[in-house]
Amino acid sequence: MHPFGDLSAYLDGALSSEARASVQAHLDTCALCRTRLAELRGTARLIAALPAPVPSRSLVPRVSIPVWLAPLRTFSTFASGAAVFLFIASALIATLPRAQSAGSAPAAAPTPNALSAPQATSGAGGVAATAGPGSFSVSAPSPAPAPNTDKRSTAGSSPTPTDTAKEISTRQDSGNPSAFAPADQAATRPNRAAEPAPFAFLLSPWLWLLLGVVFAALSFFLGRRLRST
Amino acid sequence: MGPDAGGATEALLDRARRGDARAFEQLALELERPLYRHAARMLGHDDAEDCVQDALLSAWKSLASFEGTSFRAWVFRIVTNRALDRLRSRRRHPELPLDPPAEDDDSGGWAEPAAPGPELADLASDREALRVVEEALAHIPADQRAALLLRDVEGFAYEEIAAITSTEIGTVKSRIHRGRLAVRNILISRGWRGSSG
Repeated sequence: MHPFGDLSAYLDGALSSEARASVQAHLDTCALCRTRLAELRGTARLIAALPAPVPSRSLVPRVSIPVWLAPLRTFSTFASGAAVFLFIASALIATLPRAQSAGSAPAAAPTPNALSAPQATSGAGGVAATAGPGSFSVSAPSPAPAPNTDKRSTAGSSPTPTDTAKEISTRQDSGNPSAFAPADQAATRPNRAAEPAPFAFLLSPWLWLLLGVVFAALSFFLGRRLRST
Repeated sequence: MGPDAGGATEALLDRARRGDARAFEQLALELERPLYRHAARMLGHDDAEDCVQDALLSAWKSLASFEGTSFRAWVFRIVTNRALDRLRSRRRHPELPLDPPAEDDDSGGWAEPAAPGPELADLASDREALRVVEEALAHIPADQRAALLLRDVEGFAYEEIAAITSTEIGTVKSRIHRGRLAVRNILISRGWRGSSG
């Protein structure tokens, strides 16, 4: 009886010493089994010699990287793109014909005035006079800036009418609301005389350019962090 | 091929078990290619990448429950199980019994050479022979293929293969023999003659 079923295990050194000795004794006398054993050995060697396929990407999960890193990178990339878009858009708005801005300047004049007027509730006549044509003191501020007026009031900021008048004249000279940081003011001064004060900085191209660069840099560094392991 | 290399791997494993993610990544990196070649031969290239990646992630998550001595065998077990699961779900009708009969093969299982050809032992460098072996491996039952690859390519001992595939050692012995014999028979049927050495 040929021990064919044990030949592979014999080849692999996986037989008990008893069975191994038995197979060995048989092999010494059986040419057929020696042939079979050699065939199995040759087959095993071919299997071992198969060219190893290589993965097309890294398969190691990045467990050392915080889970929020990848989403943050995606966000940064999109934010950078959006900021660049807004940079272009705000730059285009900023270069609109000056006549258009100048034309709207008088209409917008009450806005900064109302912003700094402390008398939304008390209704001081002096300010009401500067606030707008034919308006009563209580209704002097236009609906839009009303919240700002309240804010100013609660903040306790109460410029005198003289201050207010001064501010207005300054604004009309410079064509720019004075309530903002000097840098922003300098950047936007030439072109945007009539922007609503609280959001004027949103139209600064430089703000968007800066944000675009910052987010691009963040995206770049997060990307490098994600790739390195 | 061999079992876990000594000190360095042990140290990494200790650190990984204590939650050191970078240590785990390093361990996984060392096993990435062997795991992939195993999965690719079990499943084909497309599914193999996902299979290995999922398995490694699962290994990281359940590392605390790993109590064995061989991290390599443990991860191979995860990959092998996942590969077999995928194969089962891929086929509506499982083509093979998971526990083949334990009876010994008789001489009827040995195909005879159809025509004289080069000896098997000389064919390791022959691309055509390797292509035939690859094809043959793809056609044998998946559990035999798993056992055979774990033995001949990855060099695991029968006991380790039994643990990896959750079977008895007798079953491992049978699967390896049957799988190897099947590959041998396909080679022989293509005109090659076994070495008589």
